[in-house]
Amino acid sequence: MLSEIAIIVVRGVAIGSIFALIAMSFNIVHGATGILNFAQGNMFVLGGFAAFFLANQVDVSWWLLMMVVSGLLVAALVTFQGWITLLPLRSAVEQDSWIISTMAASIILGAILMITQGPFAYTVQSVVPSFRVFGVRTPGAYALAIGAMVFWYFALRFFLRKTLLGLAISAISQDLDAARAAGLPVRRLQLIAFAISGLIVGTAGFLVAPVISVSPDAGMRYVLNGFVATVVGGVGSNLGTLIGGPLVGVVAMLTAYKIGGSYQDLASLLVLVLILMVRPQGLFGRTTARRV
Amino acid sequence: MLKVNNLYAGYGIVPVLEDVSLSVSAGEILLIGGENGAGKSTLMRAIAGFNKPTKGEVLLDGKPLQGMAPEAIAQSGLRLVLDGHRVFPELSVYDNLRMGAAARRGDKAAFSKAVDQIYDVFPILKEKHKAYARDLSGGQQQMLALGQAFVAQPKVLLCDEPSMGLAQALLPPILSFLRNWAESGTAVVIVEQHLKVTAPYADRAMIIERGKVKFTCKASELDEKLGLAETAAAH
Amino acid sequence: MTVSKTMDSGAQVSVSTTSRARFNSDLPQVWIGIALIAVTGFLPSLLGNSYWVHTFHLVNIYIAAAIFQNFLFIDAGQKSFGQGVLLGLGAYVTAIFFGMHGYSFAAASLIGLFAAFLGGLLFALPALRVQYFHLGFVTLSAAIVFPQLLMSLDKWTNGINGISVAVPWIHHEVIFGLSWLTIMVAVYPMLALVVHYAIRNSRLGRQMRVAALSPEAARTLGVKPGVMRFLAFIIASIGTGICGILYLPAVSFVSPQGFNMEMSFLFFMAVVVGGRGQLLGPIIGMWIVFILPNVALVEYVDYRLLIYGTLTLLTVVLFPDGIVGSVERWRKARSVLGRGEKAFRIDPFLERLKNNTQFTPSDTEYAVEVRNGVKRFGAVVAVGGVNMKVRKGEIHGLIGANGSGKTSLLNVLSGLSRLDEGSFLINGHDATRMAADRIANTGLGRTFQTPRIFTQLSLWENLRIGLDASTTSPSEGIRQLAAQLEAEFGQDNAELLSHGQRRLVEVMRVVLKEADIILFDEPAAGLSQSERADFAKLVRFLSRNLGKSVILVEHDLDLVWGIADTITVLEQGKSVASGAPEALARDPAVQHMFVGGARA
Repeated sequence: MLSEIAIIVVRGVAIGSIFALIAMSFNIVHGATGILNFAQGNMFVLGGFAAFFLANQVDVSWWLLMMVVSGLLVAALVTFQGWITLLPLRSAVEQDSWIISTMAASIILGAILMITQGPFAYTVQSVVPSFRVFGVRTPGAYALAIGAMVFWYFALRFFLRKTLLGLAISAISQDLDAARAAGLPVRRLQLIAFAISGLIVGTAGFLVAPVISVSPDAGMRYVLNGFVATVVGGVGSNLGTLIGGPLVGVVAMLTAYKIGGSYQDLASLLVLVLILMVRPQGLFGRTTARRV
Repeated sequence: MLKVNNLYAGYGIVPVLEDVSLSVSAGEILLIGGENGAGKSTLMRAIAGFNKPTKGEVLLDGKPLQGMAPEAIAQSGLRLVLDGHRVFPELSVYDNLRMGAAARRGDKAAFSKAVDQIYDVFPILKEKHKAYARDLSGGQQQMLALGQAFVAQPKVLLCDEPSMGLAQALLPPILSFLRNWAESGTAVVIVEQHLKVTAPYADRAMIIERGKVKFTCKASELDEKLGLAETAAAH
Repeated sequence: MTVSKTMDSGAQVSVSTTSRARFNSDLPQVWIGIALIAVTGFLPSLLGNSYWVHTFHLVNIYIAAAIFQNFLFIDAGQKSFGQGVLLGLGAYVTAIFFGMHGYSFAAASLIGLFAAFLGGLLFALPALRVQYFHLGFVTLSAAIVFPQLLMSLDKWTNGINGISVAVPWIHHEVIFGLSWLTIMVAVYPMLALVVHYAIRNSRLGRQMRVAALSPEAARTLGVKPGVMRFLAFIIASIGTGICGILYLPAVSFVSPQGFNMEMSFLFFMAVVVGGRGQLLGPIIGMWIVFILPNVALVEYVDYRLLIYGTLTLLTVVLFPDGIVGSVERWRKARSVLGRGEKAFRIDPFLERLKNNTQFTPSDTEYAVEVRNGVKRFGAVVAVGGVNMKVRKGEIHGLIGANGSGKTSLLNVLSGLSRLDEGSFLINGHDATRMAADRIANTGLGRTFQTPRIFTQLSLWENLRIGLDASTTSPSEGIRQLAAQLEAEFGQDNAELLSHGQRRLVEVMRVVLKEADIILFDEPAAGLSQSERADFAKLVRFLSRNLGKSVILVEHDLDLVWGIADTITVLEQGKSVASGAPEALARDPAVQHMFVGGARA
């Protein structure tokens, strides 16, 4: 009984850390551009594929190097995708074309993975050995997931509050016109935000590849759960993702153990509907003043 | 310094400005008045690149600016301070100033000198340099917005309704700051509805009506001219 | 009072008789659509080509689903990525009751339709609270979860094996080689098209579109945007559920894989590629995104998701209006012309409303009363202790510098934002906590500083939404006025109006709404001297001949002093003076506004 609780909590928090990482990658792009990138889940899975092809059964130093490579590759791809997404937004009339274009990008990416890799789930060997928590054997990648969440939270916090570049990205999310009037290179900063989001999911997908389903159709599920984590925490709040992610993860694990693995996404959907009905601004979201 | 020739601009396909020309030279303040909806803000935004002029040219030191993105125009030395004391609410006062200088990279010494100057003129900003900008009062936010422009050391400053939302008593110190700034060799354009208070600080004045220039005159003659214009309209 | 006299002049309204290009091509698009569906639906059967018969069964069912997606997406502004779920619910539940439990097809269909309706309800509930991308994710999640549930609830759904059904009678020939199924599947999308057209041209449809384009404008017209979204989902779910019922006999088999996300994407993408909001869009779009990969490039069928995605991305980047939308834009740019200065004037039309009744402001009754109203935005105090009394039937000027809180106060009075402290009454009833739509329905109307003009609607429709918002049946004068406006402006493009004209359109909208209390937010800005004079006459007319109470926020002090019965001065969010214009002009608190102030 106790061990079951331990499994649910440990695995839930670990899986939830992955959702939190995706949520953080949503937040930085959303802040800078107002866009929520539907393709982010497939980008995350791409990191998993990078682990399979570049770093399956290798030594630690090569693995570390490849993690950086994976992050950079995905960052480059997301930046390119971001560039395409921002193209039609140059004209003021098309302010929500991004919903369609990031969705299309997600479909394209998923389709390419499906065509080239087939509908299989790939297994990636873990570099980090498993360990025991409360007497339960736990894959090492779970610890990596939690570690990555904590690392990226503090890294983003430092970046957005202390560095000139990060402050500028914060600034454009706070008042775009004032930022342009101040001469901040808005388009470039937005692309940098896309790149950072790619770096987050590219490294995250790589790190947790041994414990996720590395398959072409997994992306949508991660996008969904990442979004639920974002909404639970409050869109724009990285602190909120630290709560939202693990919460969604634990709910998913609880569902898997008590009802069945195939009901996990249903549980996430219900959490999403519930939070939107009860507290649409999320746990840490700010209500913004309405301007008429 | 700044020359605007026969500018036409609007929103979408609705024209707002028609054939507006103006010029400001270094060290001079041009005051632009006119009622709400006359097109003052549209003029400022068109010069600064926020809405693309449909016709006409904007020249900074003879170099055309029209058609450029606002951030590029800001980087080439023309700075617009938007109306409504807009700063970055979630950044500290000091970081807001840093953002002001982000457009011109390097030269840390010049930046800290400019910051010191701002702190001298508006000591409250120094006192609150760690506070979030959202916690400042409207007047302090306006000072910060101007300070943010000041550290960029632009050649031309456009200032859209510095008085908006502020108590009138706050206006004179802001205007005298702008006066001193102009005298250091900057061309300044102020859009303002409180003409009486502002005119003494300005060199020339221009009135816009329904998107067109109604008249231009010396700032000292503004009152008289306005009186005349109104009598004329009445008949 | 000489108001009626001045109204007489220029009362002749010229109703242009020359035929003008139609503002929108919705009706021709319906006819073209019906023709296209008829050809593709009937011709293959007449020619006896069973491959194309089957293909177009499916295509036409999908077209109907895409038509409802189009309605939901554009007319109601709801981006749903889960319409395939609603179709799937209709199909699957019908299959379960018909194929597994032996119900009659009709009975099973009704249950299936009800299931789709329940699904729509589930989508609609969050739509009451949130919109924008949130809803996109909710519906997307549903599209992910639905096939998973079909698999795991195998006790009821037969799981991965799916359900085979046979409905023999539906394939029997009725006439000319056309089976029941062929007829139903061809007629249904035509019906869907007609339904879409009919809703769009109804009061409900217009209110839905306004709610989608500008929720706050909709609320001030007495519309609850949440309810509009809710209704749109219900309509779309029933329409799409019927598609599911037709899908069943057309395919004779349902399985979880048949209702994965791909189906939902297909409907969405067809709408985007065809042209968002264009009635013909779903038909053209579906031909391209479905027929192209599934029929023309059938050897590359594995690539069809890639093709959907690429076509959609290319459309968004290169032709944001889609195929039909681009053609329509080109047509409009060529043929629908503006009319310059004469595009919209208000005075000739008010003749209709003239009557001999004379009203005077009440001395005892108040239309609006604000008591110590405070409204903050974060640290900024927008309204900081306002007291104001507006007598019934008077013209009440509200003046003050930019940023002094005038618009914030109007937003409070119209219910768009709530007071943090204090209270206000409308016609003697406490309205402090009332929602904007309720306030609007008690008879308050307003205009906005930036006029809410909807360029998707014709000029007449822009006015008509005022009429739609009226809580009583229109008076004879209003009815005649409306008929006249429709004849004059039915095919005019509101996009071509100048700012001043846009303001007058909003003013006329409030007149048509027959509001008792009217709030004007800087109505004279951008008007010429003569337009101002006309506007002043109009306001007096509203007050004295129609008995309306008017609150006028305005910078043109000459205008305010000329027509107001009472004036309240705001400074820094506080009411600093209030009284009759003559008295106020001598008030030292106000004098600086005259000499130094806003008068330019």
